[in-house]
Amino acid sequence: METRLRVDTHDSRPLWRQIEEGLEQLVGVGALLPGEVVPSVRELAKELRVNPATVAKAFQKLVDRGVLESRRGDGTYVAEKAPDIGAEARRARLVEAATRLATVAATLGASEAESHAALDRAIASLRGSAS
Amino acid sequence: MKIEARDLVVRYGGKRAVDGVSFEVEPGTVFALVGRNGAGKSSLVKVLLGQRHADHGEVLVDGRDPWRDRAALMRDIGASPEVPDAPPGLSATDLEKHHAGFYSQWDHAGFRARLERFELPLDSPFASLSRGQKALLMLSFALAPRPKLLVLDDPTLGLDAVARRFVFDELIGELSERGVTVFLTSHDLEGVERVATHLAILRAGRVESCGRLDELREEAARSGVEPPTLEEIFVRRTRMEVSA
Repeated sequence: METRLRVDTHDSRPLWRQIEEGLEQLVGVGALLPGEVVPSVRELAKELRVNPATVAKAFQKLVDRGVLESRRGDGTYVAEKAPDIGAEARRARLVEAATRLATVAATLGASEAESHAALDRAIASLRGSAS
Repeated sequence: MKIEARDLVVRYGGKRAVDGVSFEVEPGTVFALVGRNGAGKSSLVKVLLGQRHADHGEVLVDGRDPWRDRAALMRDIGASPEVPDAPPGLSATDLEKHHAGFYSQWDHAGFRARLERFELPLDSPFASLSRGQKALLMLSFALAPRPKLLVLDDPTLGLDAVARRFVFDELIGELSERGVTVFLTSHDLEGVERVATHLAILRAGRVESCGRLDELREEAARSGVEPPTLEEIFVRRTRMEVSA
């Protein structure tokens, strides 16, 4: 399957973290649905061109956090129930992401209106890719 | 196969190319040795493969000394040299017949499939192949006996982007299909970052840093290396100090 995941060796995040966050994002926007099978470690390793151990580490983190479920001998699935990270943690992560956007906008000298528009477009495009 | 190196020294005349190097490679991991030219990488590879005797210290591969047990060990080791070398008049087909004879198992079908993926000619003499084609042929020979340990000395040196990609994709394929321990030296930090689980940075014959690649990156991030990528870590740790 086409996973729409990408890894970048110049990204400051380790590769396993990029895979973990990328998969979580696909689940978050509904591109991977609850109960849906996730590509195997081998498939994903070949597709992303990374060591399978790196993919396995990302999977393990997601299983530990309840985003994915591992069924013995039967691969890995998106968890039926999305994990509830709690309102506090959700808010903290949104603030963190918003700060990143605000920093980029300030660096580029973008206006507030431009930044809001970019955010709206990003949300719309994620919704679009989920359908 | 496990590799244990303790306090290795390799001298060329009065110069210590390898100067007290110790490390361990756990089975199933991909251990990358990186360093600038002349850091001692190829000398270490020669000792690992039993092609050169260490002047001091000890190396054990699967608990055995490669210098003494070379013939027995090499049945389980696939190696590709830094400079591809084969009799110039022989083709891939000729060379395969020669190589296959040394091993108890030889994956002929896999070898042929690999040559096809690499778009390598079967019947052209070795001397007529390009640098990249020669390197890919060496890699194919290294993989054909389904080794437990792969030792690759700068497998992408001098290769174009397509050939480089072939090398790393093949390595990832091999890692995905079956467990194999890999020891590689490389200048190709992007490729290393993708395949390696462990890393040692060699500088002037000594180990500058050694450990799990993700832990080295986390450590770099904590100490303010920005961005904490392998390339940035490498440049910082191997740069020659400007003398005051």
